[in-house]
Amino acid sequence: MTDYAQRSEGQLLSALMENQETTVRPPRPEASKTTLPQPGRPVPSRAYPGALIVVEGTDGSGKSTQLYLLKRWLEIGGYRLHFTEWNSSPLVKSATRRGKQKRLLTPPTFSLLHAADFADRCERQIMPLLQGDYLVLADRYIYTAFARDASRGCSQRWLRNLYRFAPVPDIVFYFRAPLDVAVHRILSGRPKLKYYEAGMDLGLSYERTESFKLFQARILEEYDKMVDSDNFVVLDGTLPVNKLQKQMRDIVASKIDLKRFAPRADVGE
Amino acid sequence: MPDQEREKEKVAPVSIVSEPAAPKAPAAETEDSQVFFGEHLVGLDPSELHGNLIVIEGLDGSGRSTQIALLQEWLESEGFAVQTSGLRRSNLVGRDIDELLAKNAVTRLTLALMYATDFFDQLEHRIVPALRSGAVVLADRFIFTLIARSVVRGINRDYLTGLYAMAIRPHLTFWLNVRPETAFAREFKKAQAISYWEAGRDMSLSHDLYWSFVRYQTMIKREFEVMAKRNAFIELDGEASVSAVNKQLRQRIGEHLGIRATKYTPSSALAHLWR
Repeated sequence: MTDYAQRSEGQLLSALMENQETTVRPPRPEASKTTLPQPGRPVPSRAYPGALIVVEGTDGSGKSTQLYLLKRWLEIGGYRLHFTEWNSSPLVKSATRRGKQKRLLTPPTFSLLHAADFADRCERQIMPLLQGDYLVLADRYIYTAFARDASRGCSQRWLRNLYRFAPVPDIVFYFRAPLDVAVHRILSGRPKLKYYEAGMDLGLSYERTESFKLFQARILEEYDKMVDSDNFVVLDGTLPVNKLQKQMRDIVASKIDLKRFAPRADVGE
Repeated sequence: MPDQEREKEKVAPVSIVSEPAAPKAPAAETEDSQVFFGEHLVGLDPSELHGNLIVIEGLDGSGRSTQIALLQEWLESEGFAVQTSGLRRSNLVGRDIDELLAKNAVTRLTLALMYATDFFDQLEHRIVPALRSGAVVLADRFIFTLIARSVVRGINRDYLTGLYAMAIRPHLTFWLNVRPETAFAREFKKAQAISYWEAGRDMSLSHDLYWSFVRYQTMIKREFEVMAKRNAFIELDGEASVSAVNKQLRQRIGEHLGIRATKYTPSSALAHLWR
């Protein structure tokens, strides 16, 4: 319990909700194994029974494929899980589409709209599921916003405050692939890069492919800065898919007490 | 929540209060703190801004829109270009917020962030261009209403001031102070009904609409009182007649813009507002 009290220094969404009573939460048996939140970390720590696994990395780093395979492994095992993707809340979708089509988005509004999207998923899916003892898998998380929006010129101080309500993941897998590998994967896979995807709003280059490369280089740099401060588990995105997946599964199994998320009927046996 | 825990959450709060620049701060930063609430708006050179930003704040029914319509006419007759702004008027998300409010299917944090998006879209696409061209911007509400609404819903004040740190500091901020009871009477007269959000019904304050409205607006008013001191609000008695409030506004704005004679009678188009 002492251990637990230490871990709940922040209060997730309730960190922003001053008047809210905190709910009674069951202690987590694997508490000592997971990383303790660092003092002064901008995102408050967890205070719920579920677990959150996140993949991050530049476009083309292989993270989505790997998270899909991890999800399949857990699904087949019958674990209680929920999968969530960045930028997918129906609530904000029309605004995001309009903003992109008409090129209305500026660094602050690009950032805020994605934060609204994330807040909606966080309040309505991620938090309730974590409180309801689910394993939540997220394809991209707040670190995507930190890397992307910082590359667009938003300050770290502003960004870290903006996402202060987000629960700290149990594991952040950072798929690191050299820039040319990642860029090649993306360019060979799609006919035309979109305006914001290529970072054209930054005015780095008039040429879309060139702009994309420069933008991705900046993002990669921002990600690298977070490896230590945010306890990223760095994986080599150039390894063969199945090897990488093996590493990922081993780490998940060692860091998270998966038995907790097994079908409820089995728990009592 | 124990105080100790609460302290830890306050990670690098961004103050909305005008702070004297630290002795070691470079000159550019000093200028920034005069222009912005907390930090530099990305990509904006403050030296490009020549216009004046005038904000009118107050509860629903405090007479803001009436005064802005009159001020716009007066300023235009004095030869000033005027741009206006207000909540939910952005091209980016204005309509989306209307929809969210109508459906009432949104949580408070998401709504707060949508309003912030709306605010910054208007700041960058409406207010800043107007200030660059030397116009007078009349803002019908500003970050203060947005912060107040979220604070009374329990969202941390530091979080909100951080969120709006890149907002431009107004040259003048007027607060039309009215009693919630007066606001109720005026709002009811306008629409013959009180809306869900005006009454703060999402906050479950009372099943009685009148009391819900009064309690909610009283909470907002208290937040204005807190912000008034820190942000140099010019408080005007919103219970006074339209012409009396307008006269005071014209005097203060005239002083600021260097307009000597501030006599004004509304045109026939606006005469109905002059009661």
